[in-house]
Amino acid sequence: MSLVKRARYHFMKDIGAPAVMRLSGAGRKKGPGRPKPGFGPGLNCAVRLKEIMTRHYFLSRYAEGAKPVAWVTSGAPVEILRPFGFYTIYPENHGALCGAQRLGPELCAEAEAHGYHQDLCSYARIDLGHFLSGKTPVGRLPRPDLLFASNNICQTVVYWYRVLAHQLKIPLLLFDTPYNFEDITENDVAYMVRQLEEMIPVLEEVSGRRFDSRKFQEMTGISRDSSFAWGEVLATMKTRPAPMTIFDAFIHLAPIVSLRGLPVALEYYHILLRELRERIEQGIGAIENERKRLMWDNIAIWYKVRDFSNLFAERGMNFVTATYTNAWAETISLMDADRPFESMARTYSLVVLNNSLDHRLQLMERLIKEYHVDGLVIHSAKSCKPYSVGQYDIKRLLMDRLGIPSVIVDADITDFRAYSEEQTRTRLEAFFETLEG
Amino acid sequence: MSRREYLKNQKQKGRRLIGVFPAHYPREILWAFNSLPAEIWDPPLDIEGANAHLQPYICSVVKLGLELILQGKGDMLDGFLFPHTCDSIQNMASIVYDYLGVGKPCYFFYHPKAPYRPSSRRYYLEQLKSLVSRLERDLGPMDENELRRRVEQGHHLASILREIYDARRRGGLSASNADFYRMIRQGEYLHPDDFIPLLEDFLKASRGGDGKGPGVILSGVLPNPPEILNLLDELGVRVVDDDLLCCGRRIPMHTTMAQDPFEALVDSYFAMPPCTTKDSPLKGRVDYLLEKIAASKAKGVIFYLVKFCEPEWFDVPCMAEAVKEAGAAVLTVDVDLNQGLSGQLTTRIEAFVEMIGRQQEA
Amino acid sequence: MTAEDPIKNRDCVAGIDVGSLSTEALILDMECGTAGYAIVQTGANSTDAAVSALEKALAASGIERDQIRRIVATGYGRVSIPFSDKRVTEISCHAMGAFHLFPDTGIVIDIGGQDSKVIRVGEGGRVLDFAMNDKCAAGTGRFLEVMADKLQVALDDMGPLSLKAGGEIGISSVCTVFAESEVVSLVARNHPKEEIIRGLHRAIVNRVWSMVKGIGVRGAVTMSGGVAKNSGVVSLMEEKLGQPIHVYSEPQIIGALGAALVARRDLQDVQ
Repeated sequence: MSLVKRARYHFMKDIGAPAVMRLSGAGRKKGPGRPKPGFGPGLNCAVRLKEIMTRHYFLSRYAEGAKPVAWVTSGAPVEILRPFGFYTIYPENHGALCGAQRLGPELCAEAEAHGYHQDLCSYARIDLGHFLSGKTPVGRLPRPDLLFASNNICQTVVYWYRVLAHQLKIPLLLFDTPYNFEDITENDVAYMVRQLEEMIPVLEEVSGRRFDSRKFQEMTGISRDSSFAWGEVLATMKTRPAPMTIFDAFIHLAPIVSLRGLPVALEYYHILLRELRERIEQGIGAIENERKRLMWDNIAIWYKVRDFSNLFAERGMNFVTATYTNAWAETISLMDADRPFESMARTYSLVVLNNSLDHRLQLMERLIKEYHVDGLVIHSAKSCKPYSVGQYDIKRLLMDRLGIPSVIVDADITDFRAYSEEQTRTRLEAFFETLEG
Repeated sequence: MSRREYLKNQKQKGRRLIGVFPAHYPREILWAFNSLPAEIWDPPLDIEGANAHLQPYICSVVKLGLELILQGKGDMLDGFLFPHTCDSIQNMASIVYDYLGVGKPCYFFYHPKAPYRPSSRRYYLEQLKSLVSRLERDLGPMDENELRRRVEQGHHLASILREIYDARRRGGLSASNADFYRMIRQGEYLHPDDFIPLLEDFLKASRGGDGKGPGVILSGVLPNPPEILNLLDELGVRVVDDDLLCCGRRIPMHTTMAQDPFEALVDSYFAMPPCTTKDSPLKGRVDYLLEKIAASKAKGVIFYLVKFCEPEWFDVPCMAEAVKEAGAAVLTVDVDLNQGLSGQLTTRIEAFVEMIGRQQEA
Repeated sequence: MTAEDPIKNRDCVAGIDVGSLSTEALILDMECGTAGYAIVQTGANSTDAAVSALEKALAASGIERDQIRRIVATGYGRVSIPFSDKRVTEISCHAMGAFHLFPDTGIVIDIGGQDSKVIRVGEGGRVLDFAMNDKCAAGTGRFLEVMADKLQVALDDMGPLSLKAGGEIGISSVCTVFAESEVVSLVARNHPKEEIIRGLHRAIVNRVWSMVKGIGVRGAVTMSGGVAKNSGVVSLMEEKLGQPIHVYSEPQIIGALGAALVARRDLQDVQ
């Protein structure tokens, strides 16, 4: 790490970034503005969130050479990187951001031109497209010194990170989490604990720092508290009317994914939670007239978040829960700062996507009851096989067991070339008729 | 004798039949239980029911496997084994076990993913033992001496396969491409007591060959539709080696007889060629393929891939680039299983052969 | 007909390209080059189409059937021409044909009725590398045909119409079926046809572009196949490439020409 780059990074962090944030935020200090038709007043916190994320990507430009940089998958136990001072980049979050800005096809096409098949995960294609062309809406992402992946969310991230490791000639650390076809075993836990222990010398070498177990415990504690706060944020939507929608949660998810284990995420969720609780006290709903409450399954359709949000709000329908946003809160009670390695193994390997479909069904049944859900929208995402395969059966079983109507939307998380507006509209209208009928 | 007749026959002999999904699993353990693994890669079925459970973007290996269960074609089987190969097989296994309920024992086998560390070896050993104890619950105790014998037999089988592959690589095998894979793929359901003598006869009968015609290497999951092999035969092209998941990629590169049969199985597993389904580093896969090209003097590589097979497709661009840099030609095609060769696919393959043929002239 | 008529003694070869929509035959005089050609609809029977194309080409060139020393067949129907001496894929033939017409050709982009290909061409018209679209109809002439039908526009008018467009409407779907419904709804919302067509052309160019990038642009680019006649597609492709594209006046004939050139080369090799 160069001294000059380190000095520049710290200057930007303490003086440059706040100045830029002030400038860019100056125009919208007024708050969220007038609500859109069908919606209640917007969340004040949205401004703060934007600042945090803009700052994160802004600072990342100066991280290269100043701090060790790691590219990390959304489900990896990032806590173990924190005491080494890694600047962490989440390509999946970057992919979502590109998707929301409708840049998916453009970046995917860059990867496709290098032979990456159009059928591959579009987060991966966006990332490889960005890597091969340098295109990104965030200015620049720092080149990594280390890749850190876990297959607890899919095997795909490992295939993708293997390509990056090969191209960049840098180490790839994999946290291999055996899939829970049945129950997790002691052998599985011991295997994962050993892997974490084996990572430490590699992390020490890449970062040039010694492992500080006290700091690790401390950051594990922050991570647990943040995930816990995130869980409470989601739980506010149990109230009728729900003070936020799941579409808000898709956006407010960014810190728990990308800044997990850092104090900024914890602070943010406390502020958000306070605002949501105030709204509950005052009876303020995210939408004006909440008549139906829905659940979302799978990752967001990033280029459609706004359209869907309007479409459902117009009809007095609010999404109040999602298996996706829940994933960062679901297993947090297992996290224990006194037994960090073992508890981390359980926390990360017991997430929804690393569990059998029976587990998923039970989870969905529980969410449907707790959140008083009337209907379910299932996003069949071409990019995400572990999330999507089994949805047809889930749809049928939830109807059989709980009488919950649902609709499947065939789409993709970011590549809207795999999405048909007309087909989707017809399906959704039929679904609305079912719900109202 | 057809596959079905053979399996029926084996069952009458008292062997338990276990339907096994792709790809890596310790078959010696099943043999030691007097069971016969019958692998399910590409059953010749029309996909009907599976589309009610799987999206259009799921590969045909997974669809056909589920179709076999849905159509009751697996009724003869005494259980299923699902190795953890990819996201799609993982979820399909869960659909079968959690939602369909086949009324038969289902076993799951998770193998540690690369890059390998000391913990990987230890975990793999534990997984082998845990599989044994789960099988013992249904099939009764396993005799450790029988396991030792079957491990030795597995080594013997691997060494014959290596010998056949070596002969082919050197141009010393007269069998056509179609005959070669028809023979190799019988190992997906034949018991080693029957398969080994068959292979030995095959090797004896087909030694020789003129080594003429340009050589190519196949990389991918499996050589289906088999019409591709016939076409290559017609065009005078020799498949000189392969990096196919169902064939060459499951032959350990070397074997050692450790004292403990479990340790020997662990050695074999880690001596397998690099593979996407085990997350082997890409560099290892590239080097492995380049070595094969150099050793066989192949003119080109055909990446012959099942459509929607994510593990294979991610590696293709880097591997193809390395092959081209090494001066060999590359053809990439995606196929659905059992669909025969379309005119378009025939054209692509013929054009590729014209290309490497003329490069040879030049 | 007299023995001293010099043309009647010359050795000739023929190339026949049996495509999904049309069949072309081209006669090559061993000494003087192209003697004549013909284009017929393929219809239901490719053998009949080949016979008829060859007869018409013979008539057009004034050459007798027995002067033809060798026939090379190419295209999808190449297997169903019993009287051909050799079968060669259209990939090799397009490379040969394009190289013959434009010797600086480095890349051939061939967008045909049911598939599209990008071919890298080396010395003498040799194929160095190629890419071909997957099974999907997007990025082929078929895609445009379906859309022309929906828009009620003649296929040949699409190019000129799109060049008149004041703007362009983005077509996001790659799938032909999805794009079809997208077009239907755009028409229903009264968007100008010209702009929709331009968007459709863009969709094709983008689809083929990933193959172009995969093969790499080197030297001059020649377009062949029926879609090369569409000036709208050609101009968008030129824009994307940043260089002009060679288009032969009869781009559909390049495959048959290549086949005839292969036949001539074979004959020369023997002699």
